[in-house]
Amino acid sequence: MTITRRNLLLGAASTIAYLQLGTIQAKSDIKIASKAGDQKMVASMCRALYPHKRFPDNIYMDVAAGAIKKGNADTGSKIMFRAGLDGLQSKKFDKLSFGKQTKYLKSIEGSAFFGLIRGHTTVALYDHKQVWKIIGYEGESFSKGGYKDGQYNSLDWLPNPRIKEHPELQAFLNDSSSVKYASSKIIQSN
Amino acid sequence: MKIDKKEKAVVVIGTGPGGATVAYELTKRGIPVVSLEAGPRIMKEDYKNDEWPAFSQMAWLDKRTMTGNARVVKDFNGLPTWLVKAVGGTATHWAGATPRFLDYEWKTKSTYGNVKGASLLDWPIDGKSMKPYYVKAEDAIGSTHRGGRPPLPANNNYKVFAEGAKRNGYKFYATGPYGTNAAPYDGRPGSIQDGFNFQGDKNGSKWNPNVREIPRALKTGKLDLRPNSQAVQITHDRNGKVDGVLYIDTKTKALHRQEAKVVCVAGNSIETPRLFLMSASSMFPNGLANSSDQVGRNYMRHLTGSVYARFDKPVNFYRGETMAGFLADEVKNNPKRGFVGGYYLETLALGPSFMGAFLEPGGWGKKFADMMDGYRNLAGMWIVGEDMPQANNRITLGSAKDAFGLPAPNVHFDDHPNDTAMRNHAYKVGEKIYKSVGAKQTWRTTPYPHTHNLGTMRMSAKKKDGVTNKWGRCHDIKNLFVSDGSVMTTGAACNPTLTIVALAIRQGEYLADQLKKGKI
Repeated sequence: MTITRRNLLLGAASTIAYLQLGTIQAKSDIKIASKAGDQKMVASMCRALYPHKRFPDNIYMDVAAGAIKKGNADTGSKIMFRAGLDGLQSKKFDKLSFGKQTKYLKSIEGSAFFGLIRGHTTVALYDHKQVWKIIGYEGESFSKGGYKDGQYNSLDWLPNPRIKEHPELQAFLNDSSSVKYASSKIIQSN
Repeated sequence: MKIDKKEKAVVVIGTGPGGATVAYELTKRGIPVVSLEAGPRIMKEDYKNDEWPAFSQMAWLDKRTMTGNARVVKDFNGLPTWLVKAVGGTATHWAGATPRFLDYEWKTKSTYGNVKGASLLDWPIDGKSMKPYYVKAEDAIGSTHRGGRPPLPANNNYKVFAEGAKRNGYKFYATGPYGTNAAPYDGRPGSIQDGFNFQGDKNGSKWNPNVREIPRALKTGKLDLRPNSQAVQITHDRNGKVDGVLYIDTKTKALHRQEAKVVCVAGNSIETPRLFLMSASSMFPNGLANSSDQVGRNYMRHLTGSVYARFDKPVNFYRGETMAGFLADEVKNNPKRGFVGGYYLETLALGPSFMGAFLEPGGWGKKFADMMDGYRNLAGMWIVGEDMPQANNRITLGSAKDAFGLPAPNVHFDDHPNDTAMRNHAYKVGEKIYKSVGAKQTWRTTPYPHTHNLGTMRMSAKKKDGVTNKWGRCHDIKNLFVSDGSVMTTGAACNPTLTIVALAIRQGEYLADQLKKGKI
């Protein structure tokens, strides 16, 4: 039996049955969000969640691919993801203004679909090595001998501060007279 | 050395700052020790300077559940803590801050008075008796600014932090005390400012037990170090003295038993009480050493919270030592601020990977993205303050099971109103500091999964008030000791590692003396 999108929309019970059948018969195993445009649609949601004008589309497409993979993890995820994607498509989410996108995202904030995409994106996006380059993070430095004088202290728009402790610090820390048996009525009267 | 499993040995569970220090104090005095460590031994060349891969490499990810009103319960329910499962324990990823308890912080009940809903209690020891042990601990760790050791230089994040503090009239800022060498010390090199103390320091400039206490204890020939050996039960004889430890070889899943004459437990404030509770027997139906019903109670995790700020000029705050910046002006108890106790502010930098996950758990939208987009221009600080001990903030055995079929710990944590008041005060101060040097955007970041885990086996003068006495010895069982931060009666404002090491040096001396005199 060919599994189509129409089958999936018949209802949860039959859908689960078909999907389970799909797992037995590998040829019939369906993948969610495998149509042309699906990944792009998900990517538009990733961008609306974490909008960076400087980031090219390929980064959000990479992130979307990872989210889709999670959406295909098991039957439950597939059904959940299908419904979420359907919501984006019915709203033509990728064509909406940023303001309307945000409004729609707020309306689905509690959903499992939103949770999956947001949770995945915040991790995958900022772990993307191309993103590191754009936002100016250099990553590991040990192989280059660490950060040198002039690098770890490159900031030049503030004066160089004192690095030693203030001469009065130990006296300040050792003095218990001001705190001994101090009244703490504010807390007691809570 | 290899110690026979049938030999009644001193068994130390855990190789973090507490356990490894006790093991070293004993072995250097000629006393053989079996050290059981749940995790593997990871050497510095194996560390990964990349946040998520390093996290997967060393974090304690065993099953845990959480309840309570603290936000971390909602945001990170399966991950109440960020601890390390490896030889060296959580010191593998500690940043390195080494302030001491203030004298009155050993006596908070007497100092603060009665705080509603809090179970404050004076420690059975005081600042005066701890002083020599603090010096020993600072020398072991190699704390900067102490013992004639030089300070670390100012890095970018510290420049912003210190100048902002200064402009607000604060004066007690400095780049330490910090447990990473500024100059070569104790056979280890000075920092190369490579910036990955949270992932284990590949350069070996940072102290952790795996670069000092463990190799030195092995050198004495008296240590039998067993990595991948997770303790699951402490057994006892008919007289109620402990006589052995059951542990799982985590690679083969085989169960082993080591006979013991003394057991020291240093598994951190969750695993230590969990082990005591899992060791319940017909003689001790509520768990070992639990006649007071205090095992697992008064779990503390320090106040914590972060303030990040975005500027319009580059900072590059991730370069250099992660936490080499302190501000002590708000640490003293001053109830006029609306809370008891105090807090430190300390510089903190995260890479983009962790920043994306932790800046605002669950957060999204333009403001969030603006902070991340300005990553290069960010500065950051961490709030570390005293949180109130509460009897119901506690570790219990939950209904969930771990990978071995054993009850997973449940961590219950409610914020006390004092905690919330102090955190809000610190947020405001942090924002003021950054705004005074031109911040364009600031962010109040909620607590991360707990890295400072304290209490649950508290020391007390009276048996009914706690679990352990002033030596960390269980009130109920004479040959059973607790050697980690679990013994903390109250947590003070300072980062706990130095105090854990100082207490463990002191306990090791005492235990060696007792063993030599045949008193145990």
